[in-house]
Amino acid sequence: MKSSKIALPLTLAILGFFVFVPMLSAFEFSIRTPAKGGYGWDNYIWAVTEEEFLHYIFRSGGLAFLTVLITLLLLVPTITWLHLVQSPLRVAIDTVSLLPLVIPVVAFAVGAQISLPEFIQSTVLELPFLYFVLALPYAYRSLDIGLNAIPLKTLTEAARSAGANWVRTITSVIIPAIRSSVMATIAITFALSIGEYTLTVLLHWDTFPTWVTYVAQDNILGAIAISMMSLVIPFVILTGITLLLPERSNRGRR
Amino acid sequence: MTPSVIGEGAPSRGRTFSPFTSNLNFRKYLPALPLLLIVGYFFLYPITKLVYVAFLSNENTLTLSNFTTAFKDPYKTGFINSIKIGITSAVIAAIPGAIAAYFIESKGPSKLRRTVAVMSGVLANTGGVPLAFMFMAAIGIQGQLTKILKAAGWDIYSGQFSLGTFTGLLIVYLYFQLPLMVIIFSPAIVALRREWVEAAYNLGADKVEYWRRIGFPLLFPSFIGSLLLLFASGFSAYATANALTVGNLPLTPLQIGGLLDGNVSATQLNLGKALSSLMILISAFAVVPYLVIQRRTARWQKR
Repeated sequence: MKSSKIALPLTLAILGFFVFVPMLSAFEFSIRTPAKGGYGWDNYIWAVTEEEFLHYIFRSGGLAFLTVLITLLLLVPTITWLHLVQSPLRVAIDTVSLLPLVIPVVAFAVGAQISLPEFIQSTVLELPFLYFVLALPYAYRSLDIGLNAIPLKTLTEAARSAGANWVRTITSVIIPAIRSSVMATIAITFALSIGEYTLTVLLHWDTFPTWVTYVAQDNILGAIAISMMSLVIPFVILTGITLLLPERSNRGRR
Repeated sequence: MTPSVIGEGAPSRGRTFSPFTSNLNFRKYLPALPLLLIVGYFFLYPITKLVYVAFLSNENTLTLSNFTTAFKDPYKTGFINSIKIGITSAVIAAIPGAIAAYFIESKGPSKLRRTVAVMSGVLANTGGVPLAFMFMAAIGIQGQLTKILKAAGWDIYSGQFSLGTFTGLLIVYLYFQLPLMVIIFSPAIVALRREWVEAAYNLGADKVEYWRRIGFPLLFPSFIGSLLLLFASGFSAYATANALTVGNLPLTPLQIGGLLDGNVSATQLNLGKALSSLMILISAFAVVPYLVIQRRTARWQKR
């Protein structure tokens, strides 16, 4: 049918227009060089040579890395265990892990500010734990689906009777078996924590996304250049992560 | 090491008679302890305390006065605007988002689907200053598209329009609402089986009939669920509104942010907590049905 052939390109064209017009407009601004006229990479060069640039890149990258680590360490063993034993906790943990979707981030920020003690709020290391909570519904669901799709009991019994202890069973049997879920979990957790703004700014921390606000006050074109980078960097990292993934199964799709 | 009942290998027939049943019970909970502790301390405890403090007066006595203030202006207008922008942005984004998800998931090649998935993931997370810049560059007063439209004879700034108004904010919100719709609606499309189309055609249905009696009824619950989640997302968005408005458009998240920063002073110290609690309540009215629908549709979406 003719209509179905043009439907996809047409959809992509309309979506593409909406997505790329603002993006390319901002890009055009970011390569303007008002001092000498014309275009150049001056704003980007200015941004990356700023002292704070690397500082905030490393800080945001480090926080995102810690969030991913906390997420995997807490969730992979626990969800594996929940799938293996008949624990009455399963329903409770399933439900609690979805609850962060209900809480607006602004409300969560207020709650964190009034309840966490001084020694926690005085270190930036509180952020990975809070980002973990924000990413929990997505991370939990992704790992849960992954573990549902493999013959978990058989795999663990085989690994255990071959003499592997629990740590080894998880790291060299279970994680490889669900690696596309693990990758998806890493991707969503990483993307969420590297771009988190609301919670971070309301708790008065500075990270790469909040730094842009300060830059905008004295170098607007530089700030636009940084904004473009803050879009492109996660995109490149996430594309890299998904390219490592095996193709999505086409079973039943044909 | 994580202990487990099956981990011991031997069948546990005699175990129910063991004197260590209490030990076994303990084992039923222990491995979940780290997760429960972290989630409890960094999530459940702050939220519980937030709701509790919302009922406290400045003298720490129980009161409802924070809530009565929250229902008066300017906070009442804030809620009305926030709910309005949540509903409008969700409704406008949902239908094109669902159609796009359908064409991409059912007709697109695998590479395209994966690229769209990554892009949607990044775009649904954009917000704040970067997003504000993009729209200022496109349809701001000096924006590219503004200039093109002006040259074509349509000055979008001839009326009341600005990016900081309700309409302006609405357009900007669509930039993350549309990709969000694509992300959350795609699984429902993927789960529509080719066999069902074939079965319907074999039984003599035409395209319209298939959609009216099979496709649409199957996708409808997921569509409503996605719409609800989109509402919650638009309703509670903070960063973008904060970057674009200058106090001209009262929105609850901004009012809470102002109270938290101390930029706005209120005679009631716990007013911000009451506003936050009400936000949680409104958001729950949308997200809880979404989760219920999600759980029910997951049953037939399972392969």
